[in-house]
Amino acid sequence: MSIFRNKSFIFCMSSLFLFGGILLRAQEDESPLFEVTTFQLENGLQVILSEDYSLPLVSVVLAYNVGSINEPPKKTGLAYMLENLMFQGSRNIGSMQHIHFISKIGGVLNAVTTEGRTIFYQTVPASQLALVLWLESDRMISLDIHPSKVKRTRDSLIEEIKQRKLDDPYFESSVLFDQLLYPNKAYSHPVIGSETDLREMTTEDVQDFYTKYYIPNNAVLCITGNFEKRKAIQLVREYFNTIRPGKPVPFFPAEEHLKSEEIVRNVENYLAPYPGFYLGYRISSPDSPDNYTLAIIEYILLHGKSSRLQKRMIYEDRFASHLSGGIELKKNLATFKFFIKNNTETLRGRSQKSILDEIDKLKSDFISENELNKAKNMFKRDYLDQFTPLADKGIFLVKFHLSQKNKSNFLEELKKYLAVTPSDIIGIVNRYFTEERVVLNIKIK
Amino acid sequence: MSVTVRSRGYPFSLWFYLLILLCILNTSLFSQERFRRNPPFPDPLPELTLPEIESASLSNGLEVSIIRRQDLPVISMHLIVYAGESFSPDTLPGLATFTANMVNKGAVGLSSSRITETIETIGGEFSSETHPDYSVISFTFLEDYLDTALEILGKMILQPTFPRIEVRNVVRTMHYDLLGRKSSPAFVGRRTLLRILFEEHPYRNIAFNETVTRNLNRDELLSFFEKYYRPNNAKLILIGNLTLRTAVRKVSRYLNTWENKDIETEDTYPPQPNETLKLCIVDLPEEEDATITIGNTILLRDYDDYFPTTVLNQVLGGSPHSRLFMNLRESKGYAYFAFSTVEYFKACGILTIQERVRPNAIFESITESLNEIRRISSQVVPDYELEQAKSYLIGNFPLRIEVLEYYSSRLAAIQAFELGEAHWNSYYKSMMLISPENVYEIARRSSLQSPVVVVVGNIQELSPYLQEFDLQVYDPNGEFQYTIKKGETE
Repeated sequence: MSIFRNKSFIFCMSSLFLFGGILLRAQEDESPLFEVTTFQLENGLQVILSEDYSLPLVSVVLAYNVGSINEPPKKTGLAYMLENLMFQGSRNIGSMQHIHFISKIGGVLNAVTTEGRTIFYQTVPASQLALVLWLESDRMISLDIHPSKVKRTRDSLIEEIKQRKLDDPYFESSVLFDQLLYPNKAYSHPVIGSETDLREMTTEDVQDFYTKYYIPNNAVLCITGNFEKRKAIQLVREYFNTIRPGKPVPFFPAEEHLKSEEIVRNVENYLAPYPGFYLGYRISSPDSPDNYTLAIIEYILLHGKSSRLQKRMIYEDRFASHLSGGIELKKNLATFKFFIKNNTETLRGRSQKSILDEIDKLKSDFISENELNKAKNMFKRDYLDQFTPLADKGIFLVKFHLSQKNKSNFLEELKKYLAVTPSDIIGIVNRYFTEERVVLNIKIK
Repeated sequence: MSVTVRSRGYPFSLWFYLLILLCILNTSLFSQERFRRNPPFPDPLPELTLPEIESASLSNGLEVSIIRRQDLPVISMHLIVYAGESFSPDTLPGLATFTANMVNKGAVGLSSSRITETIETIGGEFSSETHPDYSVISFTFLEDYLDTALEILGKMILQPTFPRIEVRNVVRTMHYDLLGRKSSPAFVGRRTLLRILFEEHPYRNIAFNETVTRNLNRDELLSFFEKYYRPNNAKLILIGNLTLRTAVRKVSRYLNTWENKDIETEDTYPPQPNETLKLCIVDLPEEEDATITIGNTILLRDYDDYFPTTVLNQVLGGSPHSRLFMNLRESKGYAYFAFSTVEYFKACGILTIQERVRPNAIFESITESLNEIRRISSQVVPDYELEQAKSYLIGNFPLRIEVLEYYSSRLAAIQAFELGEAHWNSYYKSMMLISPENVYEIARRSSLQSPVVVVVGNIQELSPYLQEFDLQVYDPNGEFQYTIKKGETE
């Protein structure tokens, strides 16, 4: 075993150079906030390491590049089901034992499934890094997809859908809005899936999906925290290097928004206590440079009590009782959404006018330097907040790595947002906030 | 291959059998690496090395402390004022909370919306929270804007205007917030418990309800602010990449003219623990389940009692591996969850158990909870269980403080109560020294076995299961209504 470990280490060190050995650092005139090392195992697993000795903790994030978008037609809910099954045991770990092992040592864990990714993360005392790698590798190599577990999970997810509908009276209207905004069904169904599809789901469906996507060559492992790099590399190789790669993951076809006229629909909601509406614009693809400006526009309009729409609609005119929204990224597509709740039907119309007014102002008037700085500083603060706690930092690094931006520096990336000018804003608002919007009015019964 | 066994009557060669055996072993036992079968052993835990707390005082008595953190270009600033809810007059509970909520609502030349805008301009966030013993005004912002942040804080503290319209807004917000919480059985249960435990003590003010908001007014606010918001009754903590020298220089520039004043305050005396088991019920008819809140005060000799008390709580109900959860949920299946927490005030601690249970298991759940309290109060915790609890707490401590909000909150408590290194950099050591006898000693001299039990749920459904007790009925505001005698139902 010791010889094997030594060989592994030699390979790792060489792979750091072979695969680019990317050190994400700030420019020389700035001290780096933290350093990042990336490398890849022979089986395709991409690994990110970032040391941080401030506390005796280590966080492990394992992200699979799969989400609800990858689900075959009429099999919605598969990705979320797999997320749940990942806690129900593998060859050497009993059902729910993963949670037990982590919480017993004072650690925390969770998982999240989105349209494009499934991310598992846990933070534990620094002495327990090997334990987490043992747990994560076991469910990657040998998840126990037994029919009884599939049935139990399916039943619990169906209950969760019912509960979600009860807890969130706007849940069904949000699904309907997504169907209008994203004509491609792969993009518009909810991550939780549909009750009908879940009822028809078989153990084979789940097994096929697992075999196809939950493989080292479709995953990124990120370790952040208090560890010694050499030891961590050794452990990663010990637990993951012998996991065989799966077949290459099918290329996900690029998708572009279709041109369409304005869409306005009404829906009668029996559960909703208040009327309201959704308003959406189809914007640039997630990797477009236009997103730097769009992100700042989001802050100008929506973030903070002094943002244009919060100030006007919630605190001054009081047309709306709730206002949320912003950029939504789904694999190859992005949209800019608004969701508003009003106390009366009349106020709904006024709220829509307020939003369109503010957008029109951004189309023609240069934003003041003070207001732009405010938006940028709020953005910067939120951007930096992603670096703590350790698990959030790991998730940030994984997402950054999986995005098209993985070869650049994340502080350089921040600078691109902070370099947005008033002219950029006028140009981008005129380009994307057009008449081709989608509106769904919620009427209460 | 000349070795055969045919001469002994075996049909196949020994080598053939060995080959078959090897194949079987290969598929069943050796098809995975040996190290995958069992969890690995942990490495030694690295030392906990937290930044030092450095302090200095301004000439007006304001103590300034810094904790150097270089990981992010953000500064977190916290003004602790010894004006917690126990300082509110008996006739005006909620006044301390109201005052803290009003701090950012206007200063000379700055409207509330202008303050909000300026805070957001520096990437900032502002909040206030009120504890029984002190209030904390918190402000986090990008590090380049320390001067701006201190200037705003200075204006809010030195030149507040408390505009009447903002007074009305804050009172309305407090009213609707408290009204909304009345439908939460966990909130109602805890508030009722605190009200009963602190009936004769200044801490009763922390259990105020929305009816108090009608009495809150600007005059009382001004008087409370004038009395307690003084530099000699406050401490300022700054967390970020800065030195004490810089902090003192800058704070002094903006807060040195803050006038000190003698404040007559009495030390909060310890409350009398509940001495006989008391069972109370609050009717929330729409609740399908029952929520049980059980608690009593713990008298602490000094702040070092924190450690054995925290271990006691961990063994009893601090996590899903603790006794309450294992018994009531995992073993008996009565509860959806069953946990305990311990809170530390200046004059006492309070141990609270909270459980959400099936209505038809309400009696058994209370009985089992009392049994667990009795067990931990009368038997020394076994070594293995104690070590497991300590290991959890030691492992979990850095996890809690890695979030800036909790980090700040812990530092605020350390500074407010002057807890010292044992509760900061020496946490591991302090915790490791706790013995089963230390835990037993805390349990023995507390009145844990005679707690107050508050049940929240549908009284008509629950009372038939609780006929073995005298039931004191409270309304959701925490007001006593009447008693259902033993053997009777609603």
